[in-house]
Amino acid sequence: MTTARWVIVAAVLAVGLAIAWTARPQPQTAAERVDRISAELRCPVCQGLSVQDSPSETARSMRALVAQRVAEGRTDDEIRAEFVRSYGDWILLEPPLLSVGGLVWLAPLAAIVLGAALAWSRARAPAPIAVVAGPTDEELGRLRELVASEPE
Amino acid sequence: MSRIARYAAVALILGLAAVLTLAFARDPHDIKTGTVGKPAPAFALPSLTGSATVSLDQYKGKIVVLNFWSSWCIPCKQENPALTDVWERYRGTDVVLIGIVFQDSADAAREYTARLGNTWASALDGDGRMALSYGVFGPPETYFIGADGIIAGRHIGPIDEQTLMTGIETLRAKSATR
Repeated sequence: MTTARWVIVAAVLAVGLAIAWTARPQPQTAAERVDRISAELRCPVCQGLSVQDSPSETARSMRALVAQRVAEGRTDDEIRAEFVRSYGDWILLEPPLLSVGGLVWLAPLAAIVLGAALAWSRARAPAPIAVVAGPTDEELGRLRELVASEPE
Repeated sequence: MSRIARYAAVALILGLAAVLTLAFARDPHDIKTGTVGKPAPAFALPSLTGSATVSLDQYKGKIVVLNFWSSWCIPCKQENPALTDVWERYRGTDVVLIGIVFQDSADAAREYTARLGNTWASALDGDGRMALSYGVFGPPETYFIGADGIIAGRHIGPIDEQTLMTGIETLRAKSATR
């Protein structure tokens, strides 16, 4: 490999390392954690708003509780679990997949898979063979009579 | 259509029908999620009269009807006669009615209880933490706590006397058989 190629490889590696370094997970401040957890919680008295976005008094109380729990050193999971204990999975704007709320999200996917399976099974099935019923004995008899009565 | 696909379609339709049946059969006032069936969260709050603390511990072994209310809440006024009747009926028995003032000022709450003549204990949930621990959405909301300290049911919205009586008597019958 020539020197120029080594320089190019080294430059690409250096840029890659720099990008990875800047994109590394940064420790969040307490305020950032409060914001993030509040954004994951549903405001119970609002229409589809998170605790973070709602100006209601209930949302303010919830946010204050989140801030207190963060200050106490609780983990994110512990804080979320406290609200789930009171309100159920409903309080999470993104409910876990293995819950009633999660199943509701999975239902359309299940319907699509089922529809695709139905379409596939129909496409693979052999085309039905048309079965034409033969003439009855009575019809055969009449035909024979007609043939017999034809002048030769 | 293959047999498996046919069974899957039938199962999907039956499942959908079952979900819809359960959803329509459910009483929207009776929310089972969250704290129902679990131990009632403990609380110790300042009494509305300012003389003492109202705590769940002091009513251990009794049936507690916990009613969240506010002076600004119109449905709370609607349900007040039912609460008054039930309070008069069970006063001094194994049943206790406790009001929890929800997102309201102490002065407005005191004026409200004085105006309506409510004599059962009420407590101030100043920071709303107690309501959050019970999973309250908004007033009025009523919780039935058994003598065993477990939340047996909750009613969202204005409650009537019949629902109160049914909730209390169910818990009394359960206590009697223990």
